[in-house]
Amino acid sequence: MDPVSLLISVVDDDESVRESLPDLLREFGFMAKSFASANEFLVSRCADKTKCLILDIAMPGMSGPELKRELERTGYFIPTIFITAHAEICSRPDVRDGAAACLVKPFSDMALQNAVKKALEST
Amino acid sequence: MHGASVRQNVTGMGALRTWHRTSRRCCAYTAAATAVSAEKCVIMEVAKTMPSEEGLGNRESQYLSILDNLPGYIVILSPTGEFEFHHQKLSEFTGAPPDELRKWKGNDLIHPDDLAGVMQAIEDCLRTGEDSDIEYRLKRFDGVYRWFNSRGRPQRNGNGDITRWYFLLVDVDDRKRTEEELRENQAYIAEGQSLSQTGTFYWNTQTNERRFSDELYRLMEIEPGTVITDELLASRVHPDDHQLLQQKVEAGQQNRGGLDYEIRLKGPSGRVRWVHTIGRSYRGENGSLDYIGAVRDITERHTSEEVLSKLRSELTHMARVTSLGALTASIAHEVNQPLAGILANASTGLRMLSSNPPNVGGALETARRTIRDANRASDVITRLRALFTKKETVSEGVQLNDAAREVIALSLTELQRNRLVVLTEFADDLPVIRGDRVQLQQVILNLLLNASDAMRSVTDRPCELLIRTTGDLQNGVCVTVRDTGVGIDPESAAKMFDPFYSTKNSGMGIGLSVSRDIIERHGGRLWAEPNEHHGASFHFSIPNQT
Repeated sequence: MDPVSLLISVVDDDESVRESLPDLLREFGFMAKSFASANEFLVSRCADKTKCLILDIAMPGMSGPELKRELERTGYFIPTIFITAHAEICSRPDVRDGAAACLVKPFSDMALQNAVKKALEST
Repeated sequence: MHGASVRQNVTGMGALRTWHRTSRRCCAYTAAATAVSAEKCVIMEVAKTMPSEEGLGNRESQYLSILDNLPGYIVILSPTGEFEFHHQKLSEFTGAPPDELRKWKGNDLIHPDDLAGVMQAIEDCLRTGEDSDIEYRLKRFDGVYRWFNSRGRPQRNGNGDITRWYFLLVDVDDRKRTEEELRENQAYIAEGQSLSQTGTFYWNTQTNERRFSDELYRLMEIEPGTVITDELLASRVHPDDHQLLQQKVEAGQQNRGGLDYEIRLKGPSGRVRWVHTIGRSYRGENGSLDYIGAVRDITERHTSEEVLSKLRSELTHMARVTSLGALTASIAHEVNQPLAGILANASTGLRMLSSNPPNVGGALETARRTIRDANRASDVITRLRALFTKKETVSEGVQLNDAAREVIALSLTELQRNRLVVLTEFADDLPVIRGDRVQLQQVILNLLLNASDAMRSVTDRPCELLIRTTGDLQNGVCVTVRDTGVGIDPESAAKMFDPFYSTKNSGMGIGLSVSRDIIERHGGRLWAEPNEHHGASFHFSIPNQT
């Protein structure tokens, strides 16, 4: 697959993450867009074009897992990577089983790259 | 010495002379005694049969009437102690016939407890010839014992030999009982002073005379009875408080209000005591400005207060540290977010510089963002450190809106973990108040965490946490934290502010109690009330202290 056409969408309420992740992803060769909330993503209708989702777990309003469930309900089964600041959340069933990977902030660029690779290979 | 006449000087009665006739035969003498004062008791003897030089027949009846009206009874003993005469009134008083009176050594006319002493005293004076002055109880006709003072004096002839003993018995029972009461009262007062470690003093500011009670002497470590000079007084006051003493002495002398102050004593033993001095002024006899006052040892209370203050600091710190635990999630979040950004940005920058050609512009931007994120993390740590390091209470100007915003920022993640919405309504122009910023932030944090907890189990309605500040210069400031949680149940309402009360399994429950303590020490109030529909509102107000 041509990496250039692959869009990765990042949903995180934290500004630092929204700023830094897309640039890093672009260095990997992907296209990237960021959204401040689950709602913002849903309203943007980018779900069609998104090939991989990077979701923050704890967000005000709809959480990461909740967003994934909502997308699945409407027929979107997009490979997902959860990111979180709390290590213990990664062991939660709905998180562990629902995603290709769960990364704990701060994570290295290698960890991210590997996670994305794994996510895309799963399709 | 027959026929000799001796003139005896009589004090107090002018030029009354006595005539005295010695005789081996004891006639029935009547004796008259004048008692000018208890100390000057002089006995005159008037013989029944006397040369009527100066119409002594009349004199005699005069003397007899004096005798009858004396406030005392006469007893005359022989040089060997035999009963020679007693006044009729003594028989009347005791209700005992003369025979009975004579047997005083063997009956209970004199109180059994006093009899031995009386007999010894009589024996002594008969032997030594010295005046006797004793007190003992004598039984009245109704069986009641009354205290009497008995003074005895010998009469001597020309050779200096004792011819007889004259005794005057005066009823001193009332005085004696008053004395005893007085002694008892004094003992009570002394005991009271000793128990309460309070000494009393009198101070004449004109003559600078000072009188101390025994307890005060003891407190000041001065030998009782010592004259109190300014130097002596100062020597017992802690050197650091000499100036204070000087001020108070001057204020006292100038009558600028009553004495009421606390000061430290330090005596020769080296021991330091805190005392509270209070005194009231009044006009003395010569118009001098005098003080009567009390000095109370309050060292224990002072030490207790110091200990209490330290304990309070510890407790406040503990409460903070407990919140620290509760904030772990927030802290992790607050720090990990910028760290994630730093890592991502730096990685990106590295890749940009390694690409061909290097993307310098891009790398510069990532470097800038890295620095910004690092500062952000650093701020969080600084704020946390400030909040959780144990410190003594400080007093500074506090802008509560800013303080609240910081606390909200710090705890936002924790609050949002329960997926509630945080609303703020901060008053414009909220006056700056004096207080301890960190402690007040502790209170706000406590209220926020409690509100968040209260809404943890709520699923059927929106969870809203409102923080509102209001206030003006006149009334001070008020902070409200309102939630839509489970509310306050009546059972908890009363105990909510008690130390160690907690509805949480893991909580230590010292949050609200310490919070209230902090607010009250700022002169304010902390209270809670249920909301109209759901949840509770906690308010604290702090008055304007300027």
